[in-house]
Amino acid sequence: MTLHDRDLHGATVTIEEIPPVARFSLRVRDKDRAAAGAALGVDLPDRVGDRAASGDRTLVCLGPDEWLVTAPEQARDGIVRDMAAIRDGAPHSLTDISDREITFRVAGPAALTLMTIGCPRDLRRLEPGRAVRTVFDTAQIVLWRDGPDSFRLDVWRSFAPHVRSLLEIGRKEIAAGF
Amino acid sequence: MLLIHCPYCDETLPELEFAYAGEAHIDRPADPASLSDEEWRDYLFIRSNVKGTHAERWRHIHGCARFFNALRDTVSDEFITTYPAGQARPDLTIKEAAE
Amino acid sequence: MSRFRVQGKGRVRHDAPVGFTFDGRAYDGLRGDTVASALLANGVHLMGRSFKYHRPRGPVCAGTEEPNALVGTSRDGGAKGGRFEPNTRATAQELRQGLTVESQNRLPSLKFDVGAVNDRLYMLFSAGFYYKTFMWPRSFWDRVYEPVIRAAAGLGKAPDTVDPDRYASRYLHTDVLVVGAGPAGLTAALAAARSGAEVTLVDEHAEMGGALLSDPGVGIDGMPAWDWIAAQLDELDRLGVRRMTRTTAIGYYHQNMVGLCERLTDHLDTLPDDAPRERMWRVRAGHVVLAQGALEKPLVFDGNDRPGVMLAGAAQTYLNRYGVRVGDLAVVVTSHDSAWHAAFDLADAGTRIAAIVDTRASVRADLTEAAARRGIRVLASHTVTATWGRLRVKSVRVAPVRDGKVQGGYRIDCDCLLMCGGWTPSLHLFSHTKGTLRWDDVQQAFLPDRSVEACQIAGAGRGLWGYEAALRDGIAAGNAAAEALGRDAQDSAVLVANDRTGSGVSHKELPTDGDPNRARAFVDFQNDVTAKDIRLAVREGMRSIEHVKRYTTNGMATDQGKMSNVNGLMIASDAVGKAPPQVGLTTFRPPYTPTTFGTFAGYHRGGQFEVTRKTPIDAWAEAHGAAFEPVSLWRRAWYFPQAGEDMHAAVARECLATRRSVGIFDASTLGKIEVSGPDAVEFMNRMYTNPWTKLGIGRCRYGVLLGEDGYIRDDGVIGRLRDDLFHVTTTTGGAARVLAMMEDYLQTEWPDLDVWLTSTTEQWATVALNGPDARKVLAPLVEGQDMSAEALPHMSVAECTVAGIPARLFRLSFTGELGFEINVPARHGLRLWEALMQAGADYDICPYGTETMHVLRAEKGFIIVGQDTDGTVAPDDANLGWAIGKAKTDFVGMRSLRRPDLVAKGRKQLVGLLTEDGAVRLEEGAQIVADPDQPKPMKMLGHVTSSYSSATLGRSIAMALIEGGRDMDGQIVHVPMPDGVHKARITSTNFYDPEGERLKV
Repeated sequence: MTLHDRDLHGATVTIEEIPPVARFSLRVRDKDRAAAGAALGVDLPDRVGDRAASGDRTLVCLGPDEWLVTAPEQARDGIVRDMAAIRDGAPHSLTDISDREITFRVAGPAALTLMTIGCPRDLRRLEPGRAVRTVFDTAQIVLWRDGPDSFRLDVWRSFAPHVRSLLEIGRKEIAAGF
Repeated sequence: MLLIHCPYCDETLPELEFAYAGEAHIDRPADPASLSDEEWRDYLFIRSNVKGTHAERWRHIHGCARFFNALRDTVSDEFITTYPAGQARPDLTIKEAAE
Repeated sequence: MSRFRVQGKGRVRHDAPVGFTFDGRAYDGLRGDTVASALLANGVHLMGRSFKYHRPRGPVCAGTEEPNALVGTSRDGGAKGGRFEPNTRATAQELRQGLTVESQNRLPSLKFDVGAVNDRLYMLFSAGFYYKTFMWPRSFWDRVYEPVIRAAAGLGKAPDTVDPDRYASRYLHTDVLVVGAGPAGLTAALAAARSGAEVTLVDEHAEMGGALLSDPGVGIDGMPAWDWIAAQLDELDRLGVRRMTRTTAIGYYHQNMVGLCERLTDHLDTLPDDAPRERMWRVRAGHVVLAQGALEKPLVFDGNDRPGVMLAGAAQTYLNRYGVRVGDLAVVVTSHDSAWHAAFDLADAGTRIAAIVDTRASVRADLTEAAARRGIRVLASHTVTATWGRLRVKSVRVAPVRDGKVQGGYRIDCDCLLMCGGWTPSLHLFSHTKGTLRWDDVQQAFLPDRSVEACQIAGAGRGLWGYEAALRDGIAAGNAAAEALGRDAQDSAVLVANDRTGSGVSHKELPTDGDPNRARAFVDFQNDVTAKDIRLAVREGMRSIEHVKRYTTNGMATDQGKMSNVNGLMIASDAVGKAPPQVGLTTFRPPYTPTTFGTFAGYHRGGQFEVTRKTPIDAWAEAHGAAFEPVSLWRRAWYFPQAGEDMHAAVARECLATRRSVGIFDASTLGKIEVSGPDAVEFMNRMYTNPWTKLGIGRCRYGVLLGEDGYIRDDGVIGRLRDDLFHVTTTTGGAARVLAMMEDYLQTEWPDLDVWLTSTTEQWATVALNGPDARKVLAPLVEGQDMSAEALPHMSVAECTVAGIPARLFRLSFTGELGFEINVPARHGLRLWEALMQAGADYDICPYGTETMHVLRAEKGFIIVGQDTDGTVAPDDANLGWAIGKAKTDFVGMRSLRRPDLVAKGRKQLVGLLTEDGAVRLEEGAQIVADPDQPKPMKMLGHVTSSYSSATLGRSIAMALIEGGRDMDGQIVHVPMPDGVHKARITSTNFYDPEGERLKV
């Protein structure tokens, strides 16, 4: 099947801001990854863009020594506690960035097309289940592909209105059949 | 817009995710205080400015955020190879001989 | 129905009339027409005036390469009316209901134009006339030459209203991109798609088919050409090929990135809501197939530019595609077989062909026989030496050529003259990639040679002629693309009936028996460059084609030399006496055709022009009438004017209120970096000038960051929250740069350090409270921290809650007053602000903006990096020598502090300046001199970096960088400004409370 979207007339896409979650930037050296994974209860995925989850905690590998940890808000203190307990034996950095970004969900049959108005990556190669840091227009984002037609964008708070307004313009184009 | 292979992500990605970071393989002296003015000047300011294969640094700033090195032809702009920071400059003559 | 429209012929819809106006007169065309074809159907050839000589001109082509028929277009009235666009090519603009077309470059009317006097004065306007005519006197440039040339030259008028249209852009990744949907492009796309590749096929016209649309008599695989096209398009659609019409590939960049401009609405009668006018596609293709065909060349002879003189292939297109005969009585002049077919098609449609004039001595027998069958007179080995007719060609002089000598000529009447000088493979995009060309002597054309991209060229674009050759070449190119992508290609055959093969020869100017110096034989129609101009340029010393181009402007018009390049080269190489490849070809540059600025801008206009970053407290500032200023990408509250206040009054009030009781300030834009890990303190020692080892947990310190060259890069207050955790603040504009610099050292110089950096700029909203009452306002809201001066002294930091929100609370001061900065998670920023405003009501709390912040800090002599420093200021220059850890052996930039030029005498140093008259406020950037009466050029000692009216001090204050300034304390310097020279005394920069008593509370 082709990912081409020749027949978009009437195809829909929705854009919504989704409620905040607990979000941490975790940095740890290779030798201490296992300890971090044990403390979090999720093995740290080792390929950039890979995602792993256990219980209510989800980890994304954003760089060779960098992971994005997300969880429901009420899990925040537990994560801080669990990681503080291993700090001496497994040095790392765990920084709360829950408020740094706003998250939008872009979903619907035209979601992939809408993303192409600002995302220079070949999104055909971003398989569902993965997430990467990239750019949308001039804003840096973490782009999650949750399904063939479903994306999430974590956008730095002050860049979010710009990204949102571009997505809305693009959504209207698509709705109008262009 | 170029495509650049990030050796950490092992993916070839659009230039918009990357930032240029100057000539590669210029190590900061271990003990700057021991350097003469001339030596320090050379470290600060003197660059090779080659026409042809240039070893240079890039950063996958809007991706994995890693600095890495590249060999790039400054005439054609073509990337010959990229490799992790800290790794020695690849010897292209060996590569060519093997091919 | 007009006399020139052939009933039932062409691809236009004869049952669907479309009304439009041209220069105010109403006309009817048909759905599917272009402006040019509709006007030609109405017998109108005269569509414009030329650039320099204002000569009457009509369309010479039927495509986007048109140099002459440029018109102004607009939509008719109504809410979506207007949208005037100059220089629209009448040959490319599709007709739409209500389209308003006007001719250009004429006064008062197209048929009578006073500018045409230039044509009589043509001897004055020869090659290089710009350089020769307008040299002197200098004073004439501004008063005479420039305004007169501006008014007389040029094409359409620029629109004078804002473009109301929207423009879009997308990225597209595809396995194979095929540019051009003529015969070769269609078969290439199909071959690639059949292999399973994802294929994108683009064409600049309204429909696909290319030259086959103008040759319906050709049969392919047993089908008439147009049925065959329909069948191909069906299959392409079934295979999921993305087909894009009205889409021009404008540029071909590195690694198979191709820019496309798709025109979405210009052909529509009414504009749909939310539809962008055009879209820029940035395509990345695994493989590219260029199937752009070839462009027909004019012949160069005296009077080859009159309305009614056009390319034979264009006439064929107008007939077969649009059902329009371009005249009743045609003469054909050609050096290529292709024009014969055009003549036959026209003859069969009812146009009388007065003669086919062929420059060649012998022509293929089947062609001459076909001419004889139609009773067409054939003049082989003939030339054309002149034409007549003011607004439309009415006759042509032809003459036999024997042994290179032009014999006696004679006139033949006609109302159109159809010319063909052969064909130029269209290699513009290929040349964008630095693909090399080679000159083919047989074809007298440049053909593609070495490719640097993964690309194929198919069909006429690489010099193949005839449909079967092009179709087969397309299949081969599509298969090659598929195989290059690792796919299995299938061979397929194609059979063509009634193929129109052919060949021809190339010419410089056609031979003439007239005076070549009087010949108006045009090479570049739009820029009015004649063969004589090119020869003159060579005589005057131009040898390279690049020089000839610039001296004559040949090929520099909006058609980018599509018509003129090769003819110009043939003439220039003849004049130089070298073969064409030795003279060379000018460089092709994007865009392939003129492209709107809107397409390049895309979404980036109006509110989306660039990112405007706003803090969590911005909404409050807006609701309370703040004036804003941009600071890097942020917009920040600048000051909060009350009724009747100007900026000066508002800032004075804000300053006084802060020093009297308490002021509140949104500092959220400050950069923030979390430095965390066992080696955090070592890292800080290496990055910043200051010593960090002994900084206690819960304390903070003003840090200075240098570049390795020893100059100040950034500064900010840094707090130690744990043994292994620092909260670093940076300047607003420096946030990203500082983090990148730190990451660079950490990753590449000190990868052994166990420390990590995280940007928390937007994690925290930051509110600054300053003033003697700051503690009284804040303390009741704080839980978990003793707010006494003993427990929270100046330059300390604590984690606690403020207004119930978890906070990092700094006690520090950028104003000289008791000060706090409260950091809370960004989502709570506005709530914190409002809680503080409420708590501060009893103390007349005063919100202030960046201007007051600047004044308050200047009163204390605190620098702003980037305002009081400029990238050449070392710590000592800015009186920050105290911030350098004297016991340290290394930090970034330390070695440079001993560089000879940094320890030399006479460096510019930051000092205070007090004007003699305290009411005078110096201009920032004003230069400073010791003696204002010295001869010019004066010795400049330095410049003013910061300057304000200080309400607190009741006078102006300033800071300045002055050579050896610290040794000049108390001396008088002079500051020349537009309103006169002002005296000022050099002082300390610490203007207010120099002992810092106000912090000891």
